[in-house]
Amino acid sequence: MNCEVCQLEELKVEHFEIREVLRCILHTIVFHRALGLLRPKDVDLELFEITYVQCGDVELEKKIDEKIDHFISWVEKHPNKKSQLCLSFYEVKSKQPSWFTNKTERLYWEQWYANLNVTQHPKHHSSKTHHTKVVVDPGESATEERSSRRAMVEASLREVLFQIIKFVNEKKDHLPPISEGVIYFPYETTIPSSSYSAFGMDMIKRMLHSGHPTMLS
Amino acid sequence: MEMDREPGKLEQIVSQFRSKILHVILESRVPSLHHQQQESLSLSRVRKTDKWFNLVLGDRPPALENLNFSLRNLLDPMVIDIILVRHGPCSSSVDNLYAPSAAAAGPSTETVIERWVVQYDCPRVFATPSGAEAAVSYKKIYKKCILLLRSLYSQMRLLPAYRIFRQLSLLSQTYNFDLIYKVSSFSHPFSREEEDGMKEYNFTPVEAPPGCLCVSVTYRTTLSDFNLEPLVSLPPKIITDYVGSPTTDPMRSFPSSERGAHAISFPSRGLRSPSSIPFQRPHSWSSGFHRGIPPTKTQSLAGSPPAYRTSCKPYDISSPPADLFGNRIQNHRVSTLQQATAYDEYKLSPPFSPSASPSTPTYLTGANPLLTRHCSETAPVTIPLPLTGRSTRYLSPNSSDPSRHSLPPLSPRSSKHDASSQESPSGIRSYRKIEALRAGESPSGLSNLYSAPKVVRDSKDDSGRFSGLLSSSGSPRIGFSRSSSRLSFQDDMDDCEFSCPFDVDDVDVSDSSSQNTESKKASEFTAQSNLVGKKSQDAAVGILVHLLRTAPPLRQDSSCYSTHSLKTEYDGGVGMASGFFLPRKTADALEELNSYREMKDLLLSKSGTQAVRKEGMK
Repeated sequence: MNCEVCQLEELKVEHFEIREVLRCILHTIVFHRALGLLRPKDVDLELFEITYVQCGDVELEKKIDEKIDHFISWVEKHPNKKSQLCLSFYEVKSKQPSWFTNKTERLYWEQWYANLNVTQHPKHHSSKTHHTKVVVDPGESATEERSSRRAMVEASLREVLFQIIKFVNEKKDHLPPISEGVIYFPYETTIPSSSYSAFGMDMIKRMLHSGHPTMLS
Repeated sequence: MEMDREPGKLEQIVSQFRSKILHVILESRVPSLHHQQQESLSLSRVRKTDKWFNLVLGDRPPALENLNFSLRNLLDPMVIDIILVRHGPCSSSVDNLYAPSAAAAGPSTETVIERWVVQYDCPRVFATPSGAEAAVSYKKIYKKCILLLRSLYSQMRLLPAYRIFRQLSLLSQTYNFDLIYKVSSFSHPFSREEEDGMKEYNFTPVEAPPGCLCVSVTYRTTLSDFNLEPLVSLPPKIITDYVGSPTTDPMRSFPSSERGAHAISFPSRGLRSPSSIPFQRPHSWSSGFHRGIPPTKTQSLAGSPPAYRTSCKPYDISSPPADLFGNRIQNHRVSTLQQATAYDEYKLSPPFSPSASPSTPTYLTGANPLLTRHCSETAPVTIPLPLTGRSTRYLSPNSSDPSRHSLPPLSPRSSKHDASSQESPSGIRSYRKIEALRAGESPSGLSNLYSAPKVVRDSKDDSGRFSGLLSSSGSPRIGFSRSSSRLSFQDDMDDCEFSCPFDVDDVDVSDSSSQNTESKKASEFTAQSNLVGKKSQDAAVGILVHLLRTAPPLRQDSSCYSTHSLKTEYDGGVGMASGFFLPRKTADALEELNSYREMKDLLLSKSGTQAVRKEGMK
């Protein structure tokens, strides 16, 4: 079984938008991969005029929120870096135990990469001058700029959701069979580090294409 | 689910799939069905029909059941049109209150904003799969149907029509549009214009041998072109401080008010000489109304296109009354804002400031000739009352208001102030005439008789300023309130007019105690007084002297007559005339004549023409 990978479009978000954006993306993905009996729950985003669908499971919500908190803490520790959150679905395969391997093995059959470019530093890690510059920026132009930026983020997020739907429709054969009484496929979330080969190569490619120093500084 | 052992499983899957899709689409596009579902979701037990495709949506509405029955031919496509119905302008917003549906509104426009097509595309000739293959196939088909339904459920919330559905789902608002659906097995093709604004998305078909399940949607990419706004169903509300609009008809019904509207703007010149204020006061309301309210601004306020977003902007139905109402609201908002500023200035500028001088009553009464007419000499006027009482007077005047009769009498100081102003309007001028007459008032109330018609004449035969003052004073009344308070104030004026002591009728009716000769003389006086208004002050004095000369004696008793009394008692001028009926000598007559001369001289000295008369007499 091959592993299908979906690289979602990059979203330029501010720090306070991370939670809502990731909730929207992760719940949408899980909803499309929770093939057991469920009652869908519509959730309206607060920052954007987008309604996404949750599985209606309180426990699932808590787990996803924990993953998001972990991601946010990582972003705060690594500012000015393009962040990535990976949601992986796997099958548990029992394996013959040996000295070096575990009894069970995870066979990943699908991976989703949410790419976020966090533009604003968290308050306690930001340089004061930069933060004060942002705060002091006066006038209607700043408001208009924020609203236009917000609209762009909303449009980009909507495109990401369409991308998820399209991927779900196009790739169906790699899904494992549905187990009786099981709602969700096993999944895990990881934060690929900068040392991750694919992520690092991707950054090198961006640098070569852009032709100017990278934003990471 | 033991699908592989049951015959007709594919047909069942396809049938349930179509029903489920129909349910998903309609429950997220039709508010009425959505509300039903909201109620059914509260049930803890999930029905068997709801378990299909592992997506619990709640009980299917009966309408869906009927549709499923009518579209039981699975090979026919199922076309679901989501239609946006925009209600046209209606005659009154009341209809929208009670029947917000399209039935109560005018002509409506229907536009297909989404078209879903669900079809089981199956070749005519196919081979039925074997048992094992069918079992595997059914599971895969079922799983893929679950995935398709999941993605369709999510996409329903991302398309533009979902926002409209959410707006309509708000029970607290009524809108000029509605979403309806039409399910059929065929569809009318879109026109080229319609296709230009639409986009198509095809879900990946689910292979369900011998055919495949195909789902596609054609949707409008944007709905901002439609004027979709909530209806403003304003309940009846009494606006106590409504000041009206300058474009209302009552303003136009008074032609002279237009002239008054062009008068000097009061607020900007409220600090001018007090004598000019009374003229400006009535004009200031109308000018303050018209000031700064160009029609274009109000038009832009009422006709601004709404943004395609859930908005709380008041909706203005483009029907004439409602449009006017909307415009009135806008005008009211704008005009009240400016009116408020104007009124504040009005209140603070003299003579309406709290530190108004004692001479203020003159301005007030002079400013309002109507008040002047029925307030002078008999109806006392208080200074503060007209400030607040003015508004109350205009808004809710009371014809039997005792304040008219409880006002303090005119003070001589006010007359002096009037006399000092050379540029006073004719209203004040005639007021001064009344004051002058009052100074020589006789116990019989002769001067009242004399002056009353004069006032009336002034109000009628003036050069126009006084009448203009009348009407212009009416204009703020009208502009101030468009309610019946204007008419009631008019009635109040009428009542005051009839009860005015200077009225001719009152004179004829009330003076019943006078003698016949006096009554005749009074009629003569009134006849002659008709000419007073047209003559100068000097002429008025001359006439007075003539009257005094020709007046019959009041007393027949000769004991009351004496030369000495003639000389000394001028104040009882009328009493002097009683000496004519006594037998007397020529000397006495000469003495009497001399006394008359002295009286005349005294009068003329007051008027400043004594020297000329003496020479004339000699």
